[in-house]
Amino acid sequence: MENAHIVTRFDKDLDRIKTRVLEMGDLVSAQMSQATDLLQVFDAPEAARLIARDRKVNGMAKNIQTRAERLIALRQPVALDLRAALSPINIAFELERIGDHAKSCAKSARKLAEAPADSAALQIVLEMSALVQVMLSDVLTAYDHSDTDLAADVRARDKLVDRLNKTMFETGVGSITAAPADAPAFVHKILLARNFERVGDHIVNIARHVHKIVTGEDLKASDRGFATGKSTL
Amino acid sequence: MDTPFISAADVNIHYGTKQALFGIDLDIQANKVTALIGPSGCGKSTFLRAINRMNDLIPACRFDGSLKIGGQDIYHPSVDVVALRAQVGMVFQKPNPFPKSIFENVAYGLKIHKLTSSKQELGDRVEWSLKSAGLWDEVADRLNDPGNSLSGGQQQRLCIARTIAVSPRVILMDEPCSALDPIATAVIEELIDGLRQEYTIVIVTHSMQQAARISQRTAFFHMGKLVEVGSTKSVFTNPREEQTSNYITGRIG
Repeated sequence: MENAHIVTRFDKDLDRIKTRVLEMGDLVSAQMSQATDLLQVFDAPEAARLIARDRKVNGMAKNIQTRAERLIALRQPVALDLRAALSPINIAFELERIGDHAKSCAKSARKLAEAPADSAALQIVLEMSALVQVMLSDVLTAYDHSDTDLAADVRARDKLVDRLNKTMFETGVGSITAAPADAPAFVHKILLARNFERVGDHIVNIARHVHKIVTGEDLKASDRGFATGKSTL
Repeated sequence: MDTPFISAADVNIHYGTKQALFGIDLDIQANKVTALIGPSGCGKSTFLRAINRMNDLIPACRFDGSLKIGGQDIYHPSVDVVALRAQVGMVFQKPNPFPKSIFENVAYGLKIHKLTSSKQELGDRVEWSLKSAGLWDEVADRLNDPGNSLSGGQQQRLCIARTIAVSPRVILMDEPCSALDPIATAVIEELIDGLRQEYTIVIVTHSMQQAARISQRTAFFHMGKLVEVGSTKSVFTNPREEQTSNYITGRIG
Protein backbone atom coordinates (compact mmCIF):
# COMPACT_ATOMS: atom_id res chain seq x y z
CA MET A 1 0.00 0.00 0.00
CA GLU A 2 1.30 3.44 -0.90
CA ASN A 3 -0.11 5.11 2.20
CA ALA A 4 -0.37 3.55 5.62
CA HIS A 5 -3.65 3.43 7.48
CA ILE A 6 -4.02 5.68 10.49
CA VAL A 7 -4.97 2.50 12.36
CA THR A 8 -1.68 0.63 11.89
CA ARG A 9 -3.19 -2.63 13.14
CA PHE A 10 -5.35 -2.65 9.99
CA ASP A 11 -2.24 -2.71 7.79
CA LYS A 12 -0.77 -5.49 9.92
CA ASP A 13 -3.97 -7.55 9.58
CA LEU A 14 -4.02 -7.08 5.79
CA ASP A 15 -0.32 -7.94 5.51
CA ARG A 16 -0.76 -11.03 7.65
CA ILE A 17 -3.52 -12.39 5.41
CA LYS A 18 -1.47 -11.63 2.30
CA THR A 19 1.47 -13.51 3.80
CA ARG A 20 -0.80 -16.52 4.44
CA VAL A 21 -1.95 -16.44 0.80
CA LEU A 22 1.65 -16.34 -0.43
CA GLU A 23 2.58 -19.20 1.90
CA MET A 24 -0.33 -21.20 0.53
CA GLY A 25 0.81 -20.32 -3.00
CA ASP A 26 4.30 -21.62 -2.22
CA LEU A 27 2.91 -24.91 -0.94
CA VAL A 28 0.65 -25.31 -3.99
CA SER A 29 3.61 -24.53 -6.28
CA ALA A 30 5.62 -27.23 -4.54
CA GLN A 31 2.71 -29.67 -4.94
CA MET A 32 2.56 -28.90 -8.67
CA SER A 33 6.29 -29.35 -9.08
CA GLN A 34 6.35 -32.67 -7.21
CA ALA A 35 3.30 -33.96 -9.08
CA THR A 36 5.11 -33.22 -12.34
CA ASP A 37 8.20 -35.09 -11.11
CA LEU A 38 5.97 -38.09 -10.42
CA LEU A 39 4.88 -38.09 -14.06
CA GLN A 40 8.47 -38.71 -15.05
CA VAL A 41 9.57 -41.02 -12.26
CA PHE A 42 6.69 -42.49 -10.32
CA ASP A 43 7.30 -42.93 -6.61
CA ALA A 44 4.30 -44.42 -4.75
CA PRO A 45 5.23 -43.24 -1.20
CA GLU A 46 5.97 -39.74 -2.50
CA ALA A 47 2.63 -39.72 -4.35
CA ALA A 48 0.85 -40.76 -1.12
CA ARG A 49 2.57 -37.95 0.81
CA LEU A 50 1.59 -35.42 -1.85
CA ILE A 51 -2.03 -36.56 -1.77
CA ALA A 52 -2.07 -36.34 2.04
CA ARG A 53 -0.56 -32.82 1.94
CA ASP A 54 -3.59 -31.58 0.02
CA ARG A 55 -5.44 -31.55 3.35
CA LYS A 56 -2.94 -28.97 4.56
CA VAL A 57 -3.64 -26.89 1.44
CA ASN A 58 -7.37 -27.08 2.16
CA GLY A 59 -6.77 -26.11 5.80
CA MET A 60 -4.76 -23.07 4.72
CA ALA A 61 -7.62 -21.95 2.44
CA LYS A 62 -10.06 -22.26 5.34
CA ASN A 63 -7.76 -20.32 7.62
CA ILE A 64 -7.42 -17.49 5.08
CA GLN A 65 -11.18 -17.35 4.65
CA THR A 66 -11.71 -17.11 8.42
CA ARG A 67 -9.11 -14.36 8.80
CA ALA A 68 -10.54 -12.36 5.89
CA GLU A 69 -14.09 -12.66 7.24
CA ARG A 70 -12.93 -11.48 10.65
CA LEU A 71 -11.06 -8.53 9.15
CA ILE A 72 -14.11 -7.48 7.12
CA ALA A 73 -16.40 -7.77 10.15
CA LEU A 74 -14.10 -5.81 12.47
CA ARG A 75 -12.63 -3.18 10.14
CA GLN A 76 -15.50 -2.67 7.68
CA PRO A 77 -13.13 -1.85 4.83
CA VAL A 78 -14.23 0.01 1.70
CA ALA A 79 -12.91 0.51 -1.83
CA LEU A 80 -9.32 -0.72 -2.28
CA ASP A 81 -9.26 -2.09 1.26
CA LEU A 82 -12.43 -4.09 0.71
CA ARG A 83 -11.00 -5.60 -2.45
CA ALA A 84 -7.73 -6.32 -0.63
CA ALA A 85 -9.71 -8.01 2.17
CA LEU A 86 -12.00 -10.01 -0.12
CA SER A 87 -9.41 -11.13 -2.65
CA PRO A 88 -7.58 -13.53 -0.31
CA ILE A 89 -10.81 -15.55 -0.08
CA ASN A 90 -11.05 -15.73 -3.88
CA ILE A 91 -7.34 -16.34 -4.45
CA ALA A 92 -7.22 -19.03 -1.76
CA PHE A 93 -10.18 -20.72 -3.47
CA GLU A 94 -8.29 -20.75 -6.79
CA LEU A 95 -5.13 -22.05 -5.10
CA GLU A 96 -7.11 -24.74 -3.35
CA ARG A 97 -8.44 -25.89 -6.72
CA ILE A 98 -4.92 -25.90 -8.17
CA GLY A 99 -3.94 -28.06 -5.21
CA ASP A 100 -6.74 -30.44 -6.14
CA HIS A 101 -5.36 -30.65 -9.67
CA ALA A 102 -1.87 -31.44 -8.30
CA LYS A 103 -3.47 -34.25 -6.29
CA SER A 104 -5.26 -35.53 -9.40
CA CYS A 105 -1.99 -35.37 -11.31
CA ALA A 106 -0.29 -37.52 -8.65
CA LYS A 107 -3.13 -40.05 -8.94
CA SER A 108 -2.84 -40.03 -12.74
CA ALA A 109 0.93 -40.55 -12.49
CA ARG A 110 0.32 -44.06 -11.10
CA LYS A 111 -1.90 -44.96 -14.07
CA LEU A 112 0.55 -43.38 -16.49
CA ALA A 113 3.40 -45.43 -15.04
CA GLU A 114 1.40 -48.58 -15.74
CA ALA A 115 0.60 -47.55 -19.34
CA PRO A 116 2.86 -47.96 -22.38
CA ALA A 117 5.46 -45.21 -22.69
CA ASP A 118 4.52 -42.34 -25.01
CA SER A 119 7.26 -39.76 -24.84
CA ALA A 120 5.61 -37.36 -27.34
CA ALA A 121 2.41 -37.10 -25.35
CA LEU A 122 4.29 -36.89 -22.05
CA GLN A 123 6.43 -34.10 -23.47
CA ILE A 124 3.33 -32.02 -24.19
CA VAL A 125 2.05 -32.56 -20.64
CA LEU A 126 5.44 -31.66 -19.15
CA GLU A 127 5.60 -28.54 -21.28
CA MET A 128 2.15 -27.51 -20.05
CA SER A 129 3.21 -28.17 -16.47
CA ALA A 130 6.36 -26.07 -16.87
CA LEU A 131 4.32 -23.21 -18.31
CA VAL A 132 1.71 -23.20 -15.54
CA GLN A 133 4.35 -23.48 -12.82
CA VAL A 134 6.06 -20.31 -14.05
CA MET A 135 2.65 -18.64 -14.45
CA LEU A 136 1.78 -19.57 -10.86
CA SER A 137 5.05 -18.19 -9.54
CA ASP A 138 4.59 -14.98 -11.52
CA VAL A 139 0.98 -14.45 -10.53
CA LEU A 140 1.93 -14.77 -6.86
CA THR A 141 4.65 -12.16 -7.44
CA ALA A 142 2.08 -9.96 -9.18
CA TYR A 143 -0.24 -10.34 -6.17
CA ASP A 144 2.57 -9.60 -3.73
CA HIS A 145 3.64 -6.42 -5.56
CA SER A 146 0.23 -5.34 -6.93
CA ASP A 147 1.79 -5.62 -10.39
CA THR A 148 -1.00 -5.43 -12.98
CA ASP A 149 1.44 -5.59 -15.92
CA LEU A 150 2.83 -8.91 -14.75
CA ALA A 151 -0.72 -10.14 -14.08
CA ALA A 152 -1.68 -9.19 -17.67
CA ASP A 153 1.37 -11.05 -18.99
CA VAL A 154 0.36 -14.15 -17.04
CA ARG A 155 -3.17 -13.96 -18.50
CA ALA A 156 -1.75 -13.74 -22.01
CA ARG A 157 0.45 -16.79 -21.49
CA ASP A 158 -2.57 -18.98 -20.82
CA LYS A 159 -3.22 -19.07 -24.57
CA LEU A 160 -0.08 -21.21 -24.95
CA VAL A 161 -1.39 -23.64 -22.38
CA ASP A 162 -4.74 -23.81 -24.16
CA ARG A 163 -3.00 -24.41 -27.46
CA LEU A 164 -0.97 -27.29 -26.04
CA ASN A 165 -4.12 -28.78 -24.56
CA LYS A 166 -5.73 -28.66 -27.99
CA THR A 167 -2.66 -30.26 -29.55
CA MET A 168 -2.79 -33.01 -26.93
CA PHE A 169 -6.46 -33.63 -27.62
CA GLU A 170 -5.94 -33.85 -31.39
CA THR A 171 -2.89 -36.10 -30.96
CA GLY A 172 -4.81 -38.29 -28.53
CA VAL A 173 -7.82 -38.64 -30.80
CA GLY A 174 -5.52 -39.56 -33.70
CA SER A 175 -3.69 -42.13 -31.58
CA ILE A 176 -6.94 -43.67 -30.31
CA THR A 177 -8.21 -43.97 -33.88
CA ALA A 178 -4.96 -45.64 -34.92
CA ALA A 179 -4.74 -47.98 -31.91
CA PRO A 180 -8.14 -48.38 -30.23
CA ALA A 181 -6.76 -50.96 -27.78
CA ASP A 182 -4.58 -48.26 -26.17
CA ALA A 183 -7.49 -45.85 -25.79
CA PRO A 184 -7.56 -45.89 -21.93
CA ALA A 185 -3.90 -44.81 -21.75
CA PHE A 186 -4.45 -41.96 -24.22
CA VAL A 187 -7.59 -40.85 -22.40
CA HIS A 188 -5.50 -40.53 -19.19
CA LYS A 189 -3.01 -38.31 -20.99
CA ILE A 190 -5.80 -36.19 -22.49
CA LEU A 191 -7.31 -35.78 -19.02
CA LEU A 192 -3.92 -34.97 -17.59
CA ALA A 193 -3.44 -32.22 -20.17
CA ARG A 194 -6.94 -31.01 -19.37
CA ASN A 195 -5.87 -30.91 -15.72
CA PHE A 196 -3.04 -28.48 -16.50
CA GLU A 197 -5.30 -26.47 -18.77
CA ARG A 198 -7.66 -26.01 -15.81
CA VAL A 199 -4.71 -25.01 -13.61
CA GLY A 200 -3.94 -22.31 -16.20
CA ASP A 201 -7.54 -21.09 -15.93
CA HIS A 202 -7.32 -20.83 -12.13
CA ILE A 203 -4.07 -18.87 -12.45
CA VAL A 204 -5.79 -16.53 -14.92
CA ASN A 205 -8.54 -16.02 -12.35
CA ILE A 206 -5.92 -15.05 -9.76
CA ALA A 207 -4.38 -12.63 -12.27
CA ARG A 208 -7.82 -11.07 -12.76
CA HIS A 209 -8.19 -10.70 -9.00
CA VAL A 210 -4.82 -8.90 -8.88
CA HIS A 211 -6.03 -6.49 -11.56
CA LYS A 212 -9.29 -5.93 -9.70
CA ILE A 213 -7.59 -5.26 -6.36
CA VAL A 214 -5.46 -2.53 -7.89
CA THR A 215 -7.88 -0.95 -10.35
CA GLY A 216 -11.35 -1.91 -9.16
CA GLU A 217 -12.08 -3.09 -12.68
CA ASP A 218 -13.60 -6.52 -13.24
CA LEU A 219 -11.83 -8.14 -16.16
CA LYS A 220 -13.99 -11.23 -16.38
CA ALA A 221 -16.40 -9.68 -18.90
CA SER A 222 -13.78 -7.82 -20.96
CA ASP A 223 -11.55 -10.91 -21.23
CA ARG A 224 -14.46 -12.64 -22.87
CA GLY A 225 -14.90 -9.82 -25.36
CA PHE A 226 -17.80 -8.16 -23.58
CA ALA A 227 -17.90 -4.58 -22.38
CA THR A 228 -15.62 -3.90 -19.46
CA GLY A 229 -17.45 -4.55 -16.21
CA LYS A 230 -16.87 -2.11 -13.40
CA SER A 231 -16.31 -3.39 -9.92
CA THR A 232 -19.26 -3.82 -7.65
CA LEU A 233 -17.00 -3.98 -4.63
CA MET B 1 -27.99 12.48 -15.16
CA ASP B 2 -31.19 13.84 -13.60
CA THR B 3 -31.86 17.58 -13.67
CA PRO B 4 -30.42 19.03 -10.46
CA PHE B 5 -32.86 20.44 -7.93
CA ILE B 6 -30.16 22.30 -6.04
CA SER B 7 -27.38 23.79 -8.10
CA ALA B 8 -24.30 25.48 -6.69
CA ALA B 9 -21.95 27.28 -9.07
CA ASP B 10 -18.62 28.79 -8.08
CA VAL B 11 -19.65 29.14 -4.43
CA ASN B 12 -17.07 30.87 -2.26
CA ILE B 13 -17.70 31.56 1.41
CA HIS B 14 -15.51 33.64 3.69
CA TYR B 15 -15.68 34.01 7.46
CA GLY B 16 -14.08 37.42 7.77
CA THR B 17 -10.69 37.08 6.07
CA LYS B 18 -10.70 33.30 6.22
CA GLN B 19 -12.02 31.54 3.12
CA ALA B 20 -14.03 28.45 4.05
CA LEU B 21 -15.23 27.33 0.61
CA PHE B 22 -13.41 27.64 -2.71
CA GLY B 23 -15.38 27.70 -5.96
CA ILE B 24 -17.81 24.90 -5.20
CA ASP B 25 -19.75 23.57 -8.19
CA LEU B 26 -22.20 20.96 -7.02
CA ASP B 27 -25.51 19.72 -8.40
CA ILE B 28 -27.90 17.90 -6.08
CA GLN B 29 -30.68 15.78 -7.51
CA ALA B 30 -34.26 15.76 -6.25
CA ASN B 31 -35.56 12.83 -4.22
CA LYS B 32 -32.12 11.54 -3.49
CA VAL B 33 -30.03 11.55 -0.35
CA THR B 34 -26.74 13.36 -0.96
CA ALA B 35 -24.08 12.85 1.70
CA LEU B 36 -21.42 15.47 2.31
CA ILE B 37 -18.33 13.89 3.81
CA GLY B 38 -14.87 15.09 4.73
CA PRO B 39 -12.64 15.79 7.71
CA SER B 40 -13.52 18.42 10.31
CA GLY B 41 -13.11 21.92 8.97
CA CYS B 42 -13.39 20.84 5.33
CA GLY B 43 -16.38 23.10 4.69
CA LYS B 44 -19.15 20.52 4.40
CA SER B 45 -21.28 22.04 7.15
CA THR B 46 -20.62 25.53 5.79
CA PHE B 47 -21.93 24.37 2.42
CA LEU B 48 -24.94 22.71 4.07
CA ARG B 49 -25.82 25.89 5.94
CA ALA B 50 -25.47 27.90 2.74
CA ILE B 51 -28.41 25.96 1.29
CA ASN B 52 -30.88 27.57 3.69
CA ARG B 53 -28.81 30.68 4.34
CA MET B 54 -28.16 29.82 7.95
CA ASN B 55 -24.74 31.39 7.41
CA ASP B 56 -26.49 34.76 7.14
CA LEU B 57 -26.76 34.63 10.94
CA ILE B 58 -22.95 34.83 11.19
CA PRO B 59 -22.09 38.54 10.81
CA ALA B 60 -18.65 38.11 9.20
CA CYS B 61 -19.84 35.47 6.72
CA ARG B 62 -19.71 36.45 3.07
CA PHE B 63 -21.21 34.44 0.19
CA ASP B 64 -20.16 34.68 -3.46
CA GLY B 65 -21.39 32.64 -6.37
CA SER B 66 -24.73 31.16 -7.26
CA LEU B 67 -26.94 28.77 -5.36
CA LYS B 68 -30.27 27.85 -6.92
CA ILE B 69 -33.08 25.70 -5.62
CA GLY B 70 -35.65 24.64 -8.17
CA GLY B 71 -34.09 27.17 -10.54
CA GLN B 72 -34.50 30.09 -8.11
CA ASP B 73 -31.45 32.00 -6.92
CA ILE B 74 -31.81 31.80 -3.13
CA TYR B 75 -29.30 34.62 -2.60
CA HIS B 76 -31.29 37.07 -4.72
CA PRO B 77 -32.21 40.17 -2.66
CA SER B 78 -35.91 39.51 -3.22
CA VAL B 79 -35.80 36.16 -1.45
CA ASP B 80 -37.68 35.96 1.88
CA VAL B 81 -35.23 34.07 4.07
CA VAL B 82 -37.93 32.97 6.54
CA ALA B 83 -39.97 31.48 3.70
CA LEU B 84 -36.81 29.90 2.30
CA ARG B 85 -36.12 28.16 5.61
CA ALA B 86 -39.64 26.75 5.60
CA GLN B 87 -38.88 25.28 2.19
CA VAL B 88 -35.44 24.11 3.26
CA GLY B 89 -35.78 22.55 6.69
CA MET B 90 -32.90 21.56 8.89
CA VAL B 91 -32.25 18.84 11.43
CA PHE B 92 -29.27 19.34 13.71
CA GLN B 93 -26.67 17.16 15.34
CA LYS B 94 -28.24 17.33 18.76
CA PRO B 95 -32.03 16.95 18.99
CA ASN B 96 -33.35 20.38 19.90
CA PRO B 97 -37.07 20.17 20.69
CA PHE B 98 -38.66 23.40 21.83
CA PRO B 99 -39.54 23.56 25.55
CA LYS B 100 -43.13 22.80 24.60
CA SER B 101 -45.38 19.79 24.34
CA ILE B 102 -44.90 17.16 21.66
CA PHE B 103 -47.97 18.51 19.85
CA GLU B 104 -46.81 22.12 20.05
CA ASN B 105 -43.35 21.25 18.78
CA VAL B 106 -44.85 20.06 15.52
CA ALA B 107 -47.63 22.65 15.40
CA TYR B 108 -45.28 25.59 15.99
CA GLY B 109 -44.08 26.03 12.39
CA LEU B 110 -47.57 25.47 11.04
CA LYS B 111 -48.85 28.26 13.26
CA ILE B 112 -46.15 30.86 12.57
CA HIS B 113 -46.34 30.25 8.83
CA LYS B 114 -50.17 30.17 9.06
CA LEU B 115 -50.30 26.96 7.05
CA THR B 116 -53.52 25.59 8.52
CA SER B 117 -56.92 27.22 8.74
CA SER B 118 -58.61 25.30 11.51
CA LYS B 119 -57.85 23.45 14.72
CA GLN B 120 -58.94 20.22 13.04
CA GLU B 121 -56.59 20.79 10.12
CA LEU B 122 -53.77 21.64 12.51
CA GLY B 123 -54.36 18.41 14.44
CA ASP B 124 -54.48 16.38 11.23
CA ARG B 125 -51.24 17.92 10.00
CA VAL B 126 -49.48 17.25 13.32
CA GLU B 127 -50.68 13.64 13.22
CA TRP B 128 -49.53 13.26 9.59
CA SER B 129 -46.12 14.72 10.42
CA LEU B 130 -45.63 12.47 13.43
CA LYS B 131 -46.70 9.46 11.37
CA SER B 132 -44.32 10.44 8.56
CA ALA B 133 -41.52 10.69 11.10
CA GLY B 134 -42.38 7.23 12.43
CA LEU B 135 -43.19 8.61 15.88
CA TRP B 136 -47.00 8.64 16.04
CA ASP B 137 -47.46 5.16 17.52
CA GLU B 138 -45.07 6.00 20.34
CA VAL B 139 -46.57 9.38 21.30
CA ALA B 140 -50.22 9.33 20.20
CA ASP B 141 -51.45 8.97 23.79
CA ARG B 142 -49.15 11.62 25.27
CA LEU B 143 -49.13 14.52 22.85
CA ASN B 144 -49.24 17.00 25.71
CA ASP B 145 -46.10 15.63 27.37
CA PRO B 146 -43.01 17.84 27.03
CA GLY B 147 -40.99 17.18 23.88
CA ASN B 148 -37.82 16.83 25.90
CA SER B 149 -39.35 13.98 27.92
CA LEU B 150 -38.75 11.71 24.92
CA SER B 151 -35.63 9.60 24.38
CA GLY B 152 -32.83 11.03 22.21
CA GLY B 153 -33.90 9.07 19.14
CA GLN B 154 -37.54 10.04 19.64
CA GLN B 155 -36.55 13.69 20.09
CA GLN B 156 -34.65 13.59 16.80
CA ARG B 157 -37.68 12.09 15.06
CA LEU B 158 -39.81 14.82 16.70
CA CYS B 159 -37.45 17.39 15.16
CA ILE B 160 -37.86 15.67 11.78
CA ALA B 161 -41.65 15.76 12.24
CA ARG B 162 -41.38 19.47 13.07
CA THR B 163 -39.33 20.01 9.92
CA ILE B 164 -41.61 18.16 7.51
CA ALA B 165 -44.80 19.63 9.03
CA VAL B 166 -44.30 22.83 7.03
CA SER B 167 -43.94 20.90 3.76
CA PRO B 168 -40.35 21.67 2.89
CA ARG B 169 -38.89 20.60 -0.43
CA VAL B 170 -35.43 20.07 0.97
CA ILE B 171 -34.29 18.65 4.30
CA LEU B 172 -30.78 19.42 5.48
CA MET B 173 -29.34 17.16 8.16
CA ASP B 174 -26.17 17.99 10.07
CA GLU B 175 -24.92 14.74 11.64
CA PRO B 176 -28.45 13.84 12.77
CA CYS B 177 -27.44 10.54 14.38
CA SER B 178 -24.17 11.45 16.05
CA ALA B 179 -25.82 11.65 19.49
CA LEU B 180 -27.90 8.48 19.05
CA ASP B 181 -27.34 4.82 19.86
CA PRO B 182 -27.17 2.26 17.01
CA ILE B 183 -30.83 1.27 17.28
CA ALA B 184 -32.11 4.86 17.25
CA THR B 185 -29.67 5.53 14.40
CA ALA B 186 -31.09 2.61 12.40
CA VAL B 187 -34.62 3.93 12.92
CA ILE B 188 -33.61 7.40 11.69
CA GLU B 189 -31.74 5.95 8.71
CA GLU B 190 -34.79 3.90 7.74
CA LEU B 191 -36.88 7.05 8.09
CA ILE B 192 -34.49 9.04 5.87
CA ASP B 193 -34.72 6.38 3.19
CA GLY B 194 -38.50 6.66 3.23
CA LEU B 195 -38.50 10.48 3.30
CA ARG B 196 -36.44 10.77 0.15
CA GLN B 197 -39.48 9.72 -1.87
CA GLU B 198 -40.97 13.12 -1.01
CA TYR B 199 -37.99 15.33 -0.21
CA THR B 200 -34.51 16.14 -1.41
CA ILE B 201 -32.18 15.36 1.45
CA VAL B 202 -28.64 16.60 2.04
CA ILE B 203 -26.83 15.11 4.99
CA VAL B 204 -23.51 15.85 6.61
CA THR B 205 -22.06 12.87 8.36
CA HIS B 206 -18.73 11.80 9.81
CA SER B 207 -19.75 8.17 9.60
CA MET B 208 -18.51 6.65 6.35
CA GLN B 209 -20.74 3.65 6.92
CA GLN B 210 -23.77 5.87 7.39
CA ALA B 211 -23.03 7.80 4.19
CA ALA B 212 -22.62 4.50 2.35
CA ARG B 213 -25.82 3.07 3.82
CA ILE B 214 -28.25 5.90 3.29
CA SER B 215 -27.11 8.13 0.43
CA GLN B 216 -27.35 7.72 -3.30
CA ARG B 217 -24.74 10.37 -4.01
CA THR B 218 -21.69 11.39 -2.04
CA ALA B 219 -19.61 14.55 -2.19
CA PHE B 220 -16.16 14.60 -0.60
CA PHE B 221 -14.87 17.96 0.66
CA HIS B 222 -11.32 18.69 1.73
CA MET B 223 -9.89 22.00 2.90
CA GLY B 224 -12.82 23.96 1.53
CA LYS B 225 -12.76 22.33 -1.90
CA LEU B 226 -15.03 19.78 -3.47
CA VAL B 227 -12.66 16.96 -4.33
CA GLU B 228 -15.09 14.46 -5.78
CA VAL B 229 -18.80 13.89 -6.21
CA GLY B 230 -20.45 10.83 -7.65
CA SER B 231 -22.75 7.95 -6.96
CA THR B 232 -22.23 6.62 -3.45
CA LYS B 233 -21.58 3.21 -4.96
CA SER B 234 -18.67 4.49 -7.03
CA VAL B 235 -17.23 6.79 -4.35
CA PHE B 236 -17.11 3.98 -1.81
CA THR B 237 -15.97 1.24 -4.17
CA ASN B 238 -13.69 2.90 -6.66
CA PRO B 239 -13.17 6.61 -5.96
CA ARG B 240 -11.61 8.57 -8.79
CA GLU B 241 -9.43 10.77 -6.62
CA GLU B 242 -6.59 9.54 -4.44
CA GLN B 243 -7.52 12.05 -1.73
CA THR B 244 -11.00 10.52 -1.54
CA SER B 245 -9.56 7.02 -1.40
CA ASN B 246 -7.16 8.00 1.38
CA TYR B 247 -9.98 9.54 3.39
CA ILE B 248 -12.58 6.80 3.09
CA THR B 249 -10.05 4.05 3.77
CA GLY B 250 -8.64 5.83 6.81
CA ARG B 251 -5.19 6.48 5.37
CA ILE B 252 -2.92 9.40 5.97
CA GLY B 253 -3.33 11.40 2.76
